[in-house]
Parts: sequence; C-alpha cells; structure tokens
Amino acid sequence: MLLIPCPWCGPRNQIEFTCGGDATVPRPAPEAPEAEWMRYVYVRDNPMGPHVEWWLHGAGCRQWFKLNRDTRTHEILASAPPDAPPATEP
Amino acid sequence: MKQPCRLPSGGIVDRAQPLPFEFDGVAYEGLAGDTLAAALLANGKHLVGRGFKYHRPRGIAGAGVDEPNAFVRLGRDARTEPNVRATTQELFAGLEAASQNCWPSARLDIGAINGFVSRLIPAGFYYKTFMWPPTPKWWLRYERVIRHAAGVGRVPTLPDPDAYEHQYAHCDVLVVGAGPAGLAAARAAAHSGARVVLCDEDHVFGGGLLGVAATVDGAVAAEWIAATVAELADHPDVTLLRRTTAFGHYDGNLVGLVERVTDHLCAPPEWMPRQRLWKLRARTVVLATGAHERLIAYANNDLPGTMLAGAVRTYVERYAVRPGSRAVVFANNDRAYATALALHRAGVVVAAIVDPRAGPALDGALPHAARDAGLPLEFRDIAETDVRAADELWVTSSSKEVLAIVTLDGKPIGDGKPGPVFRRMYGLYQEFKRTVMRAGREKAAA
Repeated sequence: MLLIPCPWCGPRNQIEFTCGGDATVPRPAPEAPEAEWMRYVYVRDNPMGPHVEWWLHGAGCRQWFKLNRDTRTHEILASAPPDAPPATEP
Repeated sequence: MKQPCRLPSGGIVDRAQPLPFEFDGVAYEGLAGDTLAAALLANGKHLVGRGFKYHRPRGIAGAGVDEPNAFVRLGRDARTEPNVRATTQELFAGLEAASQNCWPSARLDIGAINGFVSRLIPAGFYYKTFMWPPTPKWWLRYERVIRHAAGVGRVPTLPDPDAYEHQYAHCDVLVVGAGPAGLAAARAAAHSGARVVLCDEDHVFGGGLLGVAATVDGAVAAEWIAATVAELADHPDVTLLRRTTAFGHYDGNLVGLVERVTDHLCAPPEWMPRQRLWKLRARTVVLATGAHERLIAYANNDLPGTMLAGAVRTYVERYAVRPGSRAVVFANNDRAYATALALHRAGVVVAAIVDPRAGPALDGALPHAARDAGLPLEFRDIAETDVRAADELWVTSSSKEVLAIVTLDGKPIGDGKPGPVFRRMYGLYQEFKRTVMRAGREKAAA
C-alpha cells in the first residue's frame, strides 16, 4: 500500500485516496475542434517512469492534487496543489 | 523423571514447572519453555505424523518455522487447528495434539499401503484417472474414498468461537527478529530517539542466542539478553511484540504482523482476541531474521531421524533435549561443528562428522606459480577491514586470469594503480600459459 503525501494533510495511507488519472493532458478551449476534445477525453499515454496524476484525498481533506509517481517502481517523487506548476521531477 | 531424553541440566526450560499434555491420546509431560516438538523429543517421540501421498513416517526435522515435516492437529472441537508446526507451538498445560494423515494411528497406518504400490502411482498422479468408466455412478463410488484420502489435516466443522483484532500502527523503526542483531538494532534505534517496534515470532527474545554459551559485550548471553530486553521494555518509545510474525513487506514500508495472543493458553479469557493483525507503517524496517538451513538431498532424508544441524543444537542447548543416542553430522558449514560438540556434551555418540567441502584450493595454477617463485602464500579467512587495508587486491578466475582491483567502494587500493606484486604475478601467469598450457599446441604446430 502506497504512502501518499497529501499537500495539505501530509503522508497518508493509499486507502484514503482515489486516483483521477493523467494530469498532464491540457483541457482544450470550449470552441476547440471535436478531434481535439476527442483526444482530451479518450487518448492517454501509458508512460513507463515518472508520471503526474490527479489524486483525490477523499477520506481526508477531500482536495484534488497532483502527484508525480513512478509507474515502474511506485516511488512517489512529489506532490503539489492543483494550481501549482506540474511537479515534473526526473 | 518421566522425560527419558531430557538432559539433567542446561537449557532455558523451567524444570520446576512440568506441563502435562496429550499427543494422540497418550499423556506426556514437558517443561515450561518447551515447544511441542521439544517436549515430544524429550519423551523420545520422533514419529509425529505421516506423509501426504505414500504415508511415509514423518519426524521432527527443524526447530522453528522452517519445519517441513512435523505438522499436527491441535486442540479439539471448535478450537481444532490443523497443520500446526509442532516446532513453533509453545507447550502449555493441557495441550492436546494429534498426528495427521494417518489412520488409525501414526505407528499403524492403513494409508501406508500406498508406499507398497508406489510404483503404480507415478509423480503427478491425478485423481481424475478414477473418472473411468465415465458414468457418474462409478465416480461417486470412488469419490468417497478419494475425498477421505485427500488433503492434509482436517478443518473443524464447528464455528470459530474466537475473536480476532485489527490494529493500525506507525513507527520510525521496525525491527523484525529479536536475536542478538535485532536486540542490538532496537537498542541503538531507541537511543537515537526513534519510536521502535521490535517483534519476534518466539515467545522469548534472544533468537539464536538462547541457551548458547556465548558472551556479548563481555556479558554472558543470557544476562545480556535479559538486560537488553529490560532496557527496551522500560523505554517509553519501544513496543515489544512477542509471538508475532511479520508475514509481508509491502509498498511504502507497510508490514503485516500477526500476533498470536492466546494460542499458548489452555483456556483463554473470553475478552482476549485470539490473534491480532497489525498493519504497521514503518519509516525504516530492519530485517534481523537470521538464516534458515536446508535439508541435504539423499535417499530417505524425509524419515524420522534426519534433522537440521542447527535445529539439533537448538534442542540440545535451548531445550536440554537429547534428540537421539548416536549421530552422524553432515557439515557443509562450520557451524555444524558446534552441533557436533553440543551433541557430544549431551552424551550423544557422534559416530562421524562428514564434511564434503574441499580443503582450501591450494593447487590452482596461480598458487603453484606463486609458490614456485618463492612468494609467501597463505590461505585463511579474512575480515572486511583486512580487505580495505590491503596494499593490493586481485580477482582471479579462469576467464579473468589475474586482474588487479584499483578502487573499492570509490576508494583507491594502495596508490590506485596495479601494484608491484600484481605485475610480478601477472608475468608469472603469462609465462605459465606460454610454457605449460600452450606447450602441447606449439609441439603440434612444429
């Protein structure tokens, strides 16, 4: 079970969290063409290595935040509030 | 004394506290501090069950969780527990155990007939062979017999009367295993101000040091253990968990522990949980679990009488039990000699010590070349400090020949360049190759 550092609550058990998926895909403008929206909604990379994801601390402060997790080792590299620049450590 | 194989002195068992117990309906007596296996051996009882397939007799081979043979059924009625290792079950007054996989008894077993027809039951023999002839009526007829023979142990049919607990906990340092290394680690961690949890599956701390005539920090082992445990128990930030097995080490240093709270009590109080599951999140985990021995493969090594050397020593020194009268010690490591000495002291005839290890490899090409050249040569065990303080280090092997090591862990060896003795040795070896190894080839070419 992962130990996830919530930016507000500190390190907590993984069972308190829900993963919200890829946080690196930028949301297109409302009037953007359908193809771009299609890509935003459905197309995801499956990177091997550090990957920034959305996580929800549902059983804690109920806040969304960004988490940089290594998809190979489960190592957690950084976490940051949603408005912070993407935490992209090597 | 009712225990014919108990030594008159020694061990860390309490001779003033005899504990009556039953095995296969026969009353025996052990001592406080025994495991079920130690108490059985003290009564000269080696046959404790039967094998799964051919119903070959099974004895006690180990002295701990690595026991492969001595599985027994413990308790009765709703509190029946199948497949308990006799080597880990602490003895208590009124314990009831029974052998498994045998009927009517371990000594006289009908299923052992399989052994006589073993040539007809190949490895991987599958029960669906009995599907023929392919009508359900025939299968149902076989099934009754097969189901009776299948499986190891029997589960209780009544509901479990016990309660179980879950516990979440956090600590800075978790030390798994309370032998000398674990105790020392826990003490050092506690001194540093860390919150420490120390767990061991045994009911006493001390691990491999229990019953051993050794000294630690100048103190007798037993006194060192007692002093260290007392110091840890007094420390406000140290939690001591006895009878607790760490069974899993998961992501983020989450460790699962199972604490057997009442498995050593004849009549557990109603308010106590039987077992407690700990989900422990540790910042650092120290595995001080020690090592297991493995059985040597030879014919009939599964029969009673074959024991691990370390286990034999444990039975003699910790439980003061003589596990036999005549022994052959097979030594593939130096600790087997401690077993031989312990057996000798216990009055067991050590008929032979078989040590298959070759002597020091003094007859390779390099040693020969060095000796011929008059270089001083010595084979001995070396300490890590010797390695780090050396002027020169080499690796030798048939593919590397002789190769100088110039840095070790980032630090230069000597002056960081291949040394003079290496250069001389390298020259000698090239000479050896040219004159001896290629001699035949040059002759053939000529």
